[in-house]
Amino acid sequence: MSNPDRSRLLRPETLTAIGIFVAAAVFIVPTFDLPPMAALLPAAMLVSLMILAAFLLVNDQRKAAAGEPAETMTRSPKRVALAFGLVVLYALSVDFIGFYVSTAISVPLVAYVFGFRNPVGLATATVIVLAAIYLIFSIAMSQEFPAGRLWGN
Amino acid sequence: MYSDLLQSLPAVLTFANFAAVIIGVVAGIVVGALPGLSATMAISVLVPFTFGLDPLVALGLMAGIYNGAMYGGAIPAVLLRIPGTPAAVATSFDGYPMAQKGEGGFALQVAVVSSAIGGIASAFALMLLAPPLSKVTLLFGPAEVFWVAVFGLCSIIFLLGGSVVKGLISACFGVFVSVIGSDPILGVDRYTFGKLEMLDGINIVILLVGLYALPPVIDLLETPLKTDGSASDNLGTEPIWKALPRMFGFWKTWLRGSLIGIWIGILPGAGGSMAAFMSYNEARRTSKTPETWGNGEPEGVAAAETANNADTASALIPALTLGIPGTAVAAVMLGGLLIHGLQPGPMLFRDNPDVVFGFMWQFLFGAILLIFVGGSLATNSFAKLLKLPRPLLGSVIIVLMLIGVYSINGRMFDVYLMLGFGAIGYVMDKLKFPLPPVVLGLILGAFAEENLRLALRIGRGNWGVLFQNTTSLILVAMTLAVVFGPSLKRRFFKGKKIEGEG
Repeated sequence: MSNPDRSRLLRPETLTAIGIFVAAAVFIVPTFDLPPMAALLPAAMLVSLMILAAFLLVNDQRKAAAGEPAETMTRSPKRVALAFGLVVLYALSVDFIGFYVSTAISVPLVAYVFGFRNPVGLATATVIVLAAIYLIFSIAMSQEFPAGRLWGN
Repeated sequence: MYSDLLQSLPAVLTFANFAAVIIGVVAGIVVGALPGLSATMAISVLVPFTFGLDPLVALGLMAGIYNGAMYGGAIPAVLLRIPGTPAAVATSFDGYPMAQKGEGGFALQVAVVSSAIGGIASAFALMLLAPPLSKVTLLFGPAEVFWVAVFGLCSIIFLLGGSVVKGLISACFGVFVSVIGSDPILGVDRYTFGKLEMLDGINIVILLVGLYALPPVIDLLETPLKTDGSASDNLGTEPIWKALPRMFGFWKTWLRGSLIGIWIGILPGAGGSMAAFMSYNEARRTSKTPETWGNGEPEGVAAAETANNADTASALIPALTLGIPGTAVAAVMLGGLLIHGLQPGPMLFRDNPDVVFGFMWQFLFGAILLIFVGGSLATNSFAKLLKLPRPLLGSVIIVLMLIGVYSINGRMFDVYLMLGFGAIGYVMDKLKFPLPPVVLGLILGAFAEENLRLALRIGRGNWGVLFQNTTSLILVAMTLAVVFGPSLKRRFFKGKKIEGEG
């Protein structure tokens, strides 16, 4: 049986309000070490964020008490988590194994995982993207991309 | 007053600047035609790539994208009843029924001509209204500039609609992000936590890409829209010169739509969708045959498309003169101006007249080019874009985002920071926290702080310096009107209604 009091606290807006409050409280600690004029605006903003987060929390809990459904974050949380996960994984792999290798893997992988499964289309798109990036950014704009920390660069 | 405007024309008429506008218009139509992508996102992704470009070339690209995307949104709205951009919702009301009757090509031609007319009217409004307004703002000192920044932030929070608490949270977050880094006057580190990468503060481009580009990509992957592009195979398009005479009867709609679009564009917080709806409703209200609307009335397409393009350049009137963007795209464009060292606001017209007036010409050329670039042959080709697989598109945009952000300083730290802002932006987007106040907070936060501290120095620490002259008091009154006006109006009209009912 689900616990209604517990689910009330797990509403996305309530969690966000708590998150904002905690983050603002954490950031306010180093504000005390700043000279008064340098601390003026950040302190005002952080205190405002804490007050506003409290408002948001109370508002959302009132809505919950009135039986109003919570804001929907996503229709398919697994797909969102997967998308974010793949983006983060791509960034990490660029950092560690280099840009071109990561991109050559990532472009077809993301497209395949999310439903485009035509092998010829995937291969063609990957080659076009890599060639275009190489010609435009590496050759024409002399842009250097990460070569990968793992290889000692 | 307008001599600077004329003097800037030759600089715009170079090959590079003109090519930038054309490329921008084409790219804008492509982006607008793809549901899920918007002008805001396209400009966010583009901004980092413009670092090394001449400011006018970069701004020409942005002006072209903005104009192109506002028309491009009409393509899927007409062919699939899926608006490519939020501003194209009203276009689908009559555009889609026209496509079903085999008049899709004509509907798109009405859309492109109306978009061009709206865009041209908007560019003229920007050219005529911004210079005199900028003259007034040049008289501002630090205290007045501080109040302009406060007014800008308040107006976008309170006029955007939705939850005021969420708007305030967004703005406070943006202002807080603006203070991260080395203090501009005392030089002390603020919230850098020992990270050297943070000393210069958070680059606005990182925030823009994170907030505006990552969430739509996640959406694109989350719901792979199954689109049926078959309607784009045969549009039955005739040459535009043959179609034009059939449109001349819409001149009143074009005029009304342009005025509505310009007005809505100037108002901070309102956007192209509101302009399109208002124009559509007004045109329908004054039509002799309102019963045909919604069943494939070309005038409906004309009304919506004129207005949603007429708010483009006009949204930049408050943005360029006061630093207050009228729309989310204008907010992103302010970021684009900033990375080229152009501080939007009172000093922009004095310090960089060639760039700012050149930018206005580019808006005008972008609108005119719409007819040529979006003509009959091109429209048929752009319609084919609807068949592009969205997962593939999403993965390519992710690569472009990484390249763009990495290119700023050549370090992965910025990419991770962008991903963090992207996650925050996604949550904000889903929980309906408005994003423009964050960007505006970042732009105006540092500006407001610097001028506040300067004013307090001039006043030797006396806060009364902020209220010492008439201009400051007018700005304070305007801010109070924006903050309390809507609730007072609601209360007043509620009272009237009750009295009336009684």
